[in-house]
Amino acid sequence: MLKRNLLRILLTAPLFALMGCGGGSSSDQANEPFPVIDNRQEVEQYYADHPDFFSFKSRAELPAGLTWEDGGNLPEVGSPLAKKGGMETVRLQDFPRTLRILGPDSNGSFRPWILDYTTMSMAHRHPDQMDFFPGLATQWAIDRPSRTVYVELDPDARWSDGVPITADDYLFMFWMHRSTYITAPWYNNWYSTQYTNITKYDDHLISITTVALKPDIDSKVLELRPLPRHFYQEVGKDFLERYQWRFAPTTSPYLIEPGDLKKGRSIQMTRDQNWWAKDKKHWRYRFNVDKINFMVIRDTPKVFEAFKRGDIDQFSMNLAEYWYEKLPSDDPDVVSGYIHKKLFFNQRPRPPYGLWINTAQPLLSDQNIRLGLQYATNWDLVIDKFFRGDYDRLNTANDGYGPYTASDIKARPFDIELAQASFAKAGFTERGPDGILRRADGTRLAFTVSSGYESLKDVLTILKEEAAKAGLEYRVEILDGTAGWKKVQEKKHELHFSAFGYSLELYPRFWETYHSDNAYDKAFLEDGSVNPDRVLKTQTNNLESLAMPEMDQRINAYRASTEADEMIALAHEMSQIHHDYASFVPGFYSGFFRIGHWRWVHYPPYFANKHAANHLEFFLHWIDEDERKATMDARKAGVTFEPVIESFEQYRRQEAP
Amino acid sequence: MRWQLNPQTLKKIDRFKKIKVGYMSFLILAALSVLLATAELWVNNRALIVSYDETIYFPTYGAFIPGSTFDLGYDYETNYRDLKATLEASQRGWVILPLVPYNPFESDAQDGILRPTPPDPERGHFLGTDTTSRDILARLVYGTRTALLFALAFMISVYFIGVVIGCSMGYFGGAFDLIFQRFIEIWSNVPFLYMVIIVFSIIPIESSVAARVIILLVVMVLFSWTSMTYYMRTETYKEKSRDYVQAARVLGAGTLRIIFRHILPNVLATLVTFMPFTIVSAISAVTALDFLGFGLPVPTPSLGELLKQGTGNLRTAPWIVISAFTTLVMLLTIVTFIGEAIRESFDPKKYTLYR
Repeated sequence: MLKRNLLRILLTAPLFALMGCGGGSSSDQANEPFPVIDNRQEVEQYYADHPDFFSFKSRAELPAGLTWEDGGNLPEVGSPLAKKGGMETVRLQDFPRTLRILGPDSNGSFRPWILDYTTMSMAHRHPDQMDFFPGLATQWAIDRPSRTVYVELDPDARWSDGVPITADDYLFMFWMHRSTYITAPWYNNWYSTQYTNITKYDDHLISITTVALKPDIDSKVLELRPLPRHFYQEVGKDFLERYQWRFAPTTSPYLIEPGDLKKGRSIQMTRDQNWWAKDKKHWRYRFNVDKINFMVIRDTPKVFEAFKRGDIDQFSMNLAEYWYEKLPSDDPDVVSGYIHKKLFFNQRPRPPYGLWINTAQPLLSDQNIRLGLQYATNWDLVIDKFFRGDYDRLNTANDGYGPYTASDIKARPFDIELAQASFAKAGFTERGPDGILRRADGTRLAFTVSSGYESLKDVLTILKEEAAKAGLEYRVEILDGTAGWKKVQEKKHELHFSAFGYSLELYPRFWETYHSDNAYDKAFLEDGSVNPDRVLKTQTNNLESLAMPEMDQRINAYRASTEADEMIALAHEMSQIHHDYASFVPGFYSGFFRIGHWRWVHYPPYFANKHAANHLEFFLHWIDEDERKATMDARKAGVTFEPVIESFEQYRRQEAP
Repeated sequence: MRWQLNPQTLKKIDRFKKIKVGYMSFLILAALSVLLATAELWVNNRALIVSYDETIYFPTYGAFIPGSTFDLGYDYETNYRDLKATLEASQRGWVILPLVPYNPFESDAQDGILRPTPPDPERGHFLGTDTTSRDILARLVYGTRTALLFALAFMISVYFIGVVIGCSMGYFGGAFDLIFQRFIEIWSNVPFLYMVIIVFSIIPIESSVAARVIILLVVMVLFSWTSMTYYMRTETYKEKSRDYVQAARVLGAGTLRIIFRHILPNVLATLVTFMPFTIVSAISAVTALDFLGFGLPVPTPSLGELLKQGTGNLRTAPWIVISAFTTLVMLLTIVTFIGEAIRESFDPKKYTLYR
């Protein structure tokens, strides 16, 4: 749910292009030769074995004096103008390897379609206001002293197979996420450590207790999604194989109907005409398209060609190359009004694109060298020349968190003099015959910059050329996306260019990226001195191998803190420490998203919501099939329409120059 | 010892010269090789000659000359194009730039934006620039040079292994032959391209560009030497039973001497006819790998990388794909023509019905 993963967007994996797609007929679920499993007893036993976690009470035991909220006053999401119907064709980078939402391979590019974007949790953050509007719940009450959220579930809520959604599905959700059958350690850990109790009062009233009282306790509980108890009765040792291609009953309006999944070939999703929430406020004007047809195209240039032909209805054009060169505003299709261009400025946590410096590597443990790297890395040129000034310089690793972002910290500029001064302090004073600085003993000032972003390799080429001016050599290593991620997870990188995809959260996290627990096994001895035998810890997000007692201490205070003001102050202090330590060269962020779409695709007049990450996230658009036909006919006949190129700047943040 | 060609060889060379297409191709390739070997002199961002305050500099080869040498106020490599403009204004000297005053790595963003620009001889971009405003001709020249060198090294390694093992199999025969034949049958069934991709993505590649190129070469050679052994084995079998081999043996020649001094020269004809085709396949393979992103490390110029850029920008920058494609086709055609001509001139059946 909240798992942070490296941005997999924009990655191409040429390896798989070679492997060919094995054929395979439509999934035949009837003939699966799996032994009968019924885990009901096992689950009940688990509840009984963990009485502290799974409690059963009666409605009468509900504490008095709770303040209930229902978010009902929040404005609608989507537009009443929306029309249902039509079919949209969407590109998938590769064919999903599973329909499971848990376990290996489940975190692929298809997951948003069957989980993140489409299914319902108890309540959802309003994409403009950040407050919660109801989903599967009708109302909720937060009892801060006990770190508990009480939730009244909607008795109307139904799984797509018609079975009512009850408290049992939430109890079961905890069992399943904590189960080792699913082979998902992150979930095992999260659901075991972040929550301490779930109580069932009756079928439609539960309470969930979190481990600490954080300002976002509401989202920790309300954004949980139940799992269909009746469907996962057969979860056992063979979960991964058994559920590989089963489409689970869902709270999503989109279903994969039998026969609509042809393995390796095609997938279609169909809108559920009987979706239980179809008339609910906040939900009724969304999910308007009747059918979603997925087309597997690996190369982005080919996707664009398919879009230009009209095979694909909309195309994301965040890269300047597409927005300015391949579909410029004077493109015949744009001028004739067949394709509309939309640019939308949003506000949300920014993925921290930049160079993550592994301070555990020999030379990079030197603060002077790191400072030199900061000054020798010309991000401004990248932003100006490669992104054409559309993007902005990232200043810290946690930009876009409102007050939690230390906005007075500014990233260091490209400055050859300062870079050379820093490198000189580390002993790099002489330039070799190739122009690269070296120490008296002949050590060259050269580092490998690895990355899994094939499509951004030119960015690194620019940095390489510029760094050479400061006497620094960057060896560029472009890896396949998975290989790149593996390299940083094993902490084998020197510098790595990447970003984390942050979900919409109130405040940034520091523990994952900067705590010494995630850098080394036992980084410090009891007396606080550095443990000489410490070993790098792999498979964590502390990509900088950052281990500083003063940071640890603040992170612990931050995690324990319940006061927003205190957390903000701590976040600023930590950002400052991090900035001074210079182990991350902040790169760029894009304060907007932009797309091109055919004129039969419609959006609400305001286009998108303040905190939207992309144009698809909330399914606000609708498709007019009559217009599709009319447009295609007009295009053939040479009839033109009014061109539409719009920029939505209502949420544009004016950055200080 | 004086270099002496035997009359047979002379005759073959004579026949080769008579095959016009092949001979012309050979001359073109030879000229091209000379041009590529001296590429630094005509495609380079370093000036050929700089005269500054009565001192003459030759920056092309050797260590870099910092900008401070010419009072440009920085100590990284001099930008000679700027220097030329500066000196023209200040009259303190002069600069002779190469024909194409760019190296294959630098971006020449004309309006501050990196994007492909069409051919512009005035600025020195004879074939235009690629997606990051790098000169295509420069990238083509250096990319082709790398590809050719790579193919040459590949051919030599493959032939060395192939000849040694193939000849030994043919010469020793028996169990040695049998075991190696089986081994080669299995080995040659390993899909070459997949193995290159897999091995190359596993190998830790912290090393320099040169080291990575060598790793790629080794991996490719490792999976390509087998085909040569078949031909060498049969040829050796045939030659082995000839009288001159027996005679050499009677005279007391050792195994190595017999194989390399007596048999090899006689099977050379087969070898030579295959050479150009091996080169062609090596160029294609390294281009294909680059195209897929598994070849030479970024930002090494290469034909495959240009092709990939080109196919991604067919509509907006057709000059990229045209340049890369034409170069590749021409290169492969020339080498193939040479190969055909060699094959024909080495063919003992001069008067055949099939001609």
